Formats: sequence, C-alpha cells, structure tokens
Amino acid sequence: MKIKLKIKRFNPEKDSKPWWGEYEVDVEPTDRVLDALHQVKWFQDGTFNLRRSCAHGVCGSDAVRINGQNKLACKVLMQDIVKKDDDTVTVEPILGLKVIKDLIVDMEPFFAHYRSVMPFFVNDEPAPADGRERLQSIVDRERYDQGTKCILCAACTTSCPSFWSNEEYVGPAAVVQAHRFIFDSRDRAAAERLEVLNQQRGVWRCRTAFNCTNACPREIPITQLIGEIKQTLATGEIK
Amino acid sequence: MATLINTLWQGLWYKGGVGNWSYQFHRLAGLGTLLFLAIHIVDTAFVFFAPELYKHALEIYRHPLFMLGEIALVAGILYHGMNGLKIIVFDFWPHLWNHKNEQRANILIYVATFLAWLPAAFIMGSSLYKHSILPWLGGK
Repeated sequence: MKIKLKIKRFNPEKDSKPWWGEYEVDVEPTDRVLDALHQVKWFQDGTFNLRRSCAHGVCGSDAVRINGQNKLACKVLMQDIVKKDDDTVTVEPILGLKVIKDLIVDMEPFFAHYRSVMPFFVNDEPAPADGRERLQSIVDRERYDQGTKCILCAACTTSCPSFWSNEEYVGPAAVVQAHRFIFDSRDRAAAERLEVLNQQRGVWRCRTAFNCTNACPREIPITQLIGEIKQTLATGEIK
Repeated sequence: MATLINTLWQGLWYKGGVGNWSYQFHRLAGLGTLLFLAIHIVDTAFVFFAPELYKHALEIYRHPLFMLGEIALVAGILYHGMNGLKIIVFDFWPHLWNHKNEQRANILIYVATFLAWLPAAFIMGSSLYKHSILPWLGGK
C-alpha cells in the first residue's frame, strides 16, 4: 500500500525553523514505521537523519512521535496506524529535548537525570561467606522487576508535561531507574536516591497525566512506580 | 523562552489519550477558578474603596455572557475537585494506576461532574433566562 509519510525536518545549519517533508512510500501492512523511514533515507533523501541501532525494540534509540504520540519506530506496524480514510503518517522528534537534526535529539539532559539517581547497585557490606552472589527470594526479586525492563528510550520522559515545562525535572525514566534499586533488597543506597527524588526537581513534579505509562514500549506501569516512590517518601517505609 | 513556549504549544496537541485530556482540563479548570477568585476579591474590595465601581461590577456579573461563564465555571470547579479526589485516592493506592483503572476513573469523573453540574446549571440557567434573556426578548 502507498502511504504519505510526513516527517518533521530541521537542519540547524540551514533552516531557521522546522518544516514538514512529505514522501510517498510503498509499504506492506506488516512493515514497521522504521522501514518506511529507511526507505526515505536510503532511496529518496539521503540528507534525512534518524537514530536507530538494533531496530528490534531493545536498544531504545528510535523513540519518535508517531501520529502525535511517543513510540519506538521499530515496534509500530503500519497496519496499526494507517487508517482506511487517511493514509498519512506523521513522524516528529520527541518533545522537550533539543533537536540536533531531523529526528535526532540531544539525549544528554535525559542521561544526566538518569545518572543523578545513582542507577547502579550499591552495597559495601562483605560478600557472603561462600564468596558467591547475594541471594534474594523470588518475592524480593519480583518487587522491582518492572523497573528492570526499562531500555532508556526516553519515550516516557519526553511525553511528560512536567518535563516539557521544566527540563530540571528528573523525569519518569530516572524515577523508574531509582525504583529498580530502591526496592532491591540487596541495595543499600535507597536513602541517597530518595533524597534526590525528594527535591524540588524530583518525584513531586509528577502530575499523574499518565502519558508516560501510555508511551512506554516495554509496558512498564510507570505512574504506579512513581506513586510507590511518593508513598515511600511520605511514609518513610520501603515496602 | 521561545523554545519553551513552542514545546508547550506542541505538548497541547500530544495524543496522550484520556489521561492527557484530564491533565489539561484540570489545569484549565484550576486557572479559571483562580481567575474568578482573583476578580471576586478585587470586586469585593470595591465595596470599601470605590462603592460606585462595585455597582458597575454587579452589572457586569448580570451580563448574560458573564452568567454563561459562571455556569461553565461551576463545571470547572466540580471537575477540578473530583479529579483532585481521584488523584488523592490513586496516590494512597498506587497499584490502582493501570490502564484500565485510569480510563475507568477518568470516565467516571466526567460523568460524575456532568451529573453534579446539571442541577446547578438548571438553577443558574433559569436565572439567566428569567433575568437576562427574557427581558432582552421583550417578555416580563
């Protein structure tokens, strides 16, 4: 089937403002949006730029706004977004991060927030006597399972109205990463992470718009995890 | 600043679904209520500082357009309050924040707001009809 692909283009070296590039692309219903973007890049306009790596929903590098909503271009099939009466598909860069070129945005502010919540295991206690791993029950492991699924694509953070209005807000992705370690029974740095999240730029900026949960390609219940962090801060109990 | 305004403008059209609409209505209703309260504080202050202006303010309040605005304001206040209660409930039980509950809760809020607004809209609408529209039509 033929579709009209509208891509928001912007080259800061040439353009004073973004413009819509329109391309007619022949696709199969089972093709992904990424395949259509490749067709444009490889066969129609080599100056068009996008970011992608694995192309299979694992690396999280091709988060874009498809028909007005954040998604991974490599996970969305044409048959799920092309309507019978409208063959137009729009693709824009994710919101709230500076556009470097076309669909590529500067991810550094996003990763700075990620680093601020100490997204690594902290435990200075001596290792178990047998020198092997710190064991954990199935229930304890399950407690933070949702957070381990995050692929850092930024689809959640850049769908958040609070992040759009204030880039100082750590954003949903960083909160999810903090949650992953705060509720890990083996970790010992929950207090430091909670302190970061209790600041003005922390978790209280969440206004529960639910965009993050809707945008997450890994189906992480982000708003719920943020709510659990808020509750932990309010009660002082990690449970 | 221009970038922020552009981002927020584009954010208005973000297709986040019913949750995003609730977020935007909540802000809009809150701002509307704040604006009305600010105006109300100022006009009440006229009673003391400038009584003749107070009479003028009352005339403005009786203008059909303003009365229509007040009927809309009641809907805004009810929505803001009920949506706020929803957020409080969900904050106490975070596991409720899932797709199904979120959709259901938002629809429930819209329906509850509409039902609670109907009696107020009827009473205020009757007053509007009786005191503003009927005289304008030449009736009694």
